Amino acid sequence: MPDRPILVAVVLAAALAISGWRFYRVFRPVLSAPGEYRFDELWERFVGVLSNVGLHKRLLKIRYSGVLHALIFSSFIVLFTAILQAFGSGLFPGFSLAPIGGNTWIAGAQELFTVLILIGLGMALYQRVVIKPKRFEGSNKLDALLIYALVFGVVATMTLEFAFHIAAGDDSSAAWRPIAATIAGWLTAAGFSGESAEAGATFFYWAHILVILGFLIYIPGSKHRHMFTAVPNIFLRSMKPKGTLPKADLDHPPIGVQEIGQFHWKHKLDMLSCTECGRCQAACPAYAAGQPLSPKKLIMDLRDHMVAVDHGHSDGVVDLVGGVISEQTLWACTTCRACMEVCPIHIEHVPKIVEMRRTMVEDGRVSPLLQDALGKLQQYGNSFGKPPRQRAKWTKELSFKIKDARKEPVDILWFVGDYASYDPRVQRITVKVAETLNAAGVDFGILMDGEQNSGNDVRRVGEEGLFETLAQSNIDAIAACDFKRIVTTDPHSLNALRQEYGAFGGDFEVLHYTQLLDELIGQGRLKLARGEGATVTYHDPCYLGRYNGGFDAPRNLIAKAGYTLHEMGRCRENSFCCGAGGGRIWQDEEGITERPSENRIKEALGLGDATLFVVACPKDTVMYTAAVQNLGVEDRITVRDVIDLIEVAQA
Amino acid sequence: MRVVVVLRLVPDLTEELEIDESGTDIDREWIGIKLNEFDDHALEEAVLLKEGSGATVTALALDGEGVDRMLQSAIARGADAAVKVEHGMEHIPDQRTAAAILAGAIKELGADLILTGVQTPEDVFGQLAPFLAAHLDMPTVNAVGGVSADGDNAVDVRQEYSGGMSAILGVTLPAVLGIQTASQPPRYVSGSKLRQAMSAEIATLSGADAGAATGAEITGLQEPERGDGATMFDGDAETVAGKIVDVLNERGLLGG
Amino acid sequence: MTKVLVYIEAQGGQVTGTSLELIAAAQSLGGTVEALVLDADPAGLTGQVKGADTILTMADAALSPYLPEAHAKALAHVVAERSPDVVLVAYSSTGLDLGPVVAVKANRPLVSYCTKLAIEDGAVVAQSQAYGGKLTAASKAPLPAVVAITPGSYREEDVADRAGATESIAAPAGLGDLRTRFKSAQTPDPDAIDITQCDKLLCVGRGIGDADSIDIAREVAAKIGAEIAGSRPVIDAGWLPKERQVGKSGNKVKPRLYLAVGVSGAPEHLEGMGSAELIIAVNSDAKAPIFDHAHFGTTVDLFDLLPALSERLGGG
Repeated sequence: MPDRPILVAVVLAAALAISGWRFYRVFRPVLSAPGEYRFDELWERFVGVLSNVGLHKRLLKIRYSGVLHALIFSSFIVLFTAILQAFGSGLFPGFSLAPIGGNTWIAGAQELFTVLILIGLGMALYQRVVIKPKRFEGSNKLDALLIYALVFGVVATMTLEFAFHIAAGDDSSAAWRPIAATIAGWLTAAGFSGESAEAGATFFYWAHILVILGFLIYIPGSKHRHMFTAVPNIFLRSMKPKGTLPKADLDHPPIGVQEIGQFHWKHKLDMLSCTECGRCQAACPAYAAGQPLSPKKLIMDLRDHMVAVDHGHSDGVVDLVGGVISEQTLWACTTCRACMEVCPIHIEHVPKIVEMRRTMVEDGRVSPLLQDALGKLQQYGNSFGKPPRQRAKWTKELSFKIKDARKEPVDILWFVGDYASYDPRVQRITVKVAETLNAAGVDFGILMDGEQNSGNDVRRVGEEGLFETLAQSNIDAIAACDFKRIVTTDPHSLNALRQEYGAFGGDFEVLHYTQLLDELIGQGRLKLARGEGATVTYHDPCYLGRYNGGFDAPRNLIAKAGYTLHEMGRCRENSFCCGAGGGRIWQDEEGITERPSENRIKEALGLGDATLFVVACPKDTVMYTAAVQNLGVEDRITVRDVIDLIEVAQA
Repeated sequence: MRVVVVLRLVPDLTEELEIDESGTDIDREWIGIKLNEFDDHALEEAVLLKEGSGATVTALALDGEGVDRMLQSAIARGADAAVKVEHGMEHIPDQRTAAAILAGAIKELGADLILTGVQTPEDVFGQLAPFLAAHLDMPTVNAVGGVSADGDNAVDVRQEYSGGMSAILGVTLPAVLGIQTASQPPRYVSGSKLRQAMSAEIATLSGADAGAATGAEITGLQEPERGDGATMFDGDAETVAGKIVDVLNERGLLGG
Repeated sequence: MTKVLVYIEAQGGQVTGTSLELIAAAQSLGGTVEALVLDADPAGLTGQVKGADTILTMADAALSPYLPEAHAKALAHVVAERSPDVVLVAYSSTGLDLGPVVAVKANRPLVSYCTKLAIEDGAVVAQSQAYGGKLTAASKAPLPAVVAITPGSYREEDVADRAGATESIAAPAGLGDLRTRFKSAQTPDPDAIDITQCDKLLCVGRGIGDADSIDIAREVAAKIGAEIAGSRPVIDAGWLPKERQVGKSGNKVKPRLYLAVGVSGAPEHLEGMGSAELIIAVNSDAKAPIFDHAHFGTTVDLFDLLPALSERLGGG
């Protein structure tokens, strides 16, 4: 029999070679992908890794899963010492961690974390087999179970090896290994001692090594790749503002992504890193509505296709849109960003969807309804198909003459937005905002018919050319005005002006009207009459909250107006989209089993005591008012914009 | 097959129309203009012919405000070339005059098939397609709901009649068709394609003489007489809904 | 004395009601009325023509089935032969084919979309719909002229019986020398919903805006026992099937109840439903032409009204 070091070296080298080859085959598409710069802000990137990996920030949002993951994750780090010891001693006789505590505190830690990892595995198994969260639907269960078995194998063989060592008389670490020592007691009782115990130790040494190497070979084809990819994937996440989509090069078609090879390397790394945990799926309003979109499945399907293409097994499927991913799936997305917000490894779902939508728009593959809306936007600059000159028609209701910001300097330039300007259901709110600003003595004006749709949702349906046209028109109109800051009523406009226009030469200070009102109250310029103190709940609009961090101003206003806020479970970052975003408001509702807006109203009703459903987005007013009507619960809850709660104190 | 599609900008009827000082025309100073809806279908049908049977498509229009942009978007849609026709008139009074001017340009371009919308909102003195046919001495079919090539020298045309009836007519080219509906709804043309087409070149031709006027003239435009008019229900939605239901009940139109 | 030539159009072997409306229009001008029947075998049609002083017939194999080219040649020939002061055609598919062509060939002015016609001082004085019915155009054109009458403008019932001697006209030389051929005819699918037979219709127009709202319109329709129909823009957008289209290019309906929601009332639409017994119109534009033809109307926003109606109608 050859020397153990040679055997270990050969086995290790073979396993590393096979595993390496398998990793290479999986990662080959990433290596050949288009470029993307992700090496700026290194410190911020590092901090993100620390909080998301080290502290499990996102994972712990689902307590049970987060805890079990933390148990397994931390145990892996600690038990790596055992692996080091196994291979070190195998390759280099005499290698030992003993000088630094290998037989004392390290041994103790190994024992402790063996227990912890077994608890973690037990919890994981219980979750997979008994709890079966809905978010696992569509994930590869066999893969998960196999991994649990392999991990169990690693620790079991390790513990048994130590137990046989102790049984063989090597009790140098026995004091620190109560479990191994206990098992050793049983082994001794079963007749193992001396040589037979040595043989047992050798057997489990090899078993331990082989299970580890088997694990290593298995990993590249498994979702447990994330052991290796999670850290780089988080480190290399997008550091752009959340509401900024990547530009498309309109002068160099093709625009958008139609073949897997057109996705840049980070998109591909995302695909390979997906752990199939399904948190995105659980958060997705489209999935909840019964539409054919699961962000998880989308990433998995792209991943499987990418690997298949690379391995020549794609059966001739080349087109992503209509081939790998259905058009309905792509149109179902509201771009609410809930998926990206919960993804523990920071996968960027929405930009991928928008890239594929761009392809559909360029090909003219849009539904009649969407075509109608986009056509109206092309022709009139608004999705209502109303003449631009009617944009400021609502101002006729005002008790004062509103300034035309194009003609005279103003302190605040108010970008009103389409829905707030044209929709009869929202105009009331717009008038109230104007009257409130006027009462607070704010010097403000609007662009009148110089304003067009901000293009935020236009960009998100993938209509990049129209978005740029709209953006440029608005930027030119705004830049010609004399003002200090911009205020918007619509969070979608807020996002476009604040986060998107910069790339097109429009750098403005933009705030939502709730922020301005909050500020005015803080400065004492706006004094409120306290309301009747009803209990209300508040819905965070995606593009005000998640995208632009505007969580507090609306809540402050609700409190200052004298109302009691009863939060829904899904609030702030975890807010549940109304279903209108990303151009969904221009699409039909085919395939929807439960409208997200109605799901949300039910959540609010579930609070028991909230009589007002407060929103801060014109589209929310439209969506939730309809939802309340459809559910027939007008007598239980009323949809109100934050501005409706604001009553200016009479001087 | 050389297809010429004639496109026209017309007043946007979503806007309020105002009558000008003369009382015989609308005030064109402020009115929004858009591609005539039926011309949009004609353009789509032309592009479908191009895709289906390799026709070349030339978009043709009388010169005027906004015409360059309209023609460029026709190129974005798939037209191969765009031509505008100079005419030296401030405003083309009617389709008959337009036909006379355009006929010269069409002869110069050479066309096998001429498509345009079946009507516009301004056709008081007749429609362009049959006028063009008369000037060019070609057969014409109007209220067409679909065209397909039948070899290089003929097309099959679906003419629609009232009551959902229609007939397929075979037409040997050259011919002029007044399109009512394209075989498929006009496609969406993305903003990026429109932007690219903004630099497309537009050729210019000079139009033929408009010819002698027929003597027909508008003597006055007015808002339609209200006639007996409707009895209007006022109030909020609930009130009005109640009144409507009352009317239906009175007339025995509910239940049973 | 004014001589008026009426082009009689036929569909499926039947003289159309519109043709008789043209005769009513011709009689209203006070002169002699000549009705022109073009057919391979005109005898079957002449019996259906009433109110003409003379029924002119031209028999030629090329004249049926209808071909625009053949009828234009024939009509131009008759116009040249008989020199009528006024030629009347319908504003219909055939009228579109013939009116402008004959006007150019005979060098006469043409007035289209005409809803009201008179003769004064050697000229036709007409009222036409313009701008989708948003405006009415008064016009004057010197005689002799060609006029295309909007269907529904005159009443078939107003036609007074006249002797109606038949006179045959020889087909012009080369009438059969055509570049147009009839290939096939299509009639509507008999299995499809026939909205012309429906008692109550709820018609949605462009104002409905999105599929969502069509659903609520459906809900209301179901509660009042009406079928849903659409105006041309709604059909063109693919929101409703073609067989549910009301108007010139769709179906002509005459229900007991016609509830028009978000329909502006373009002439082509009014042509299809103007004779409904009870018309109720919902349109936020108080100036929409539909209100001129409706019995009851409201400018309440349809998005508010439909849910309110649905609620009011209850579970039924």
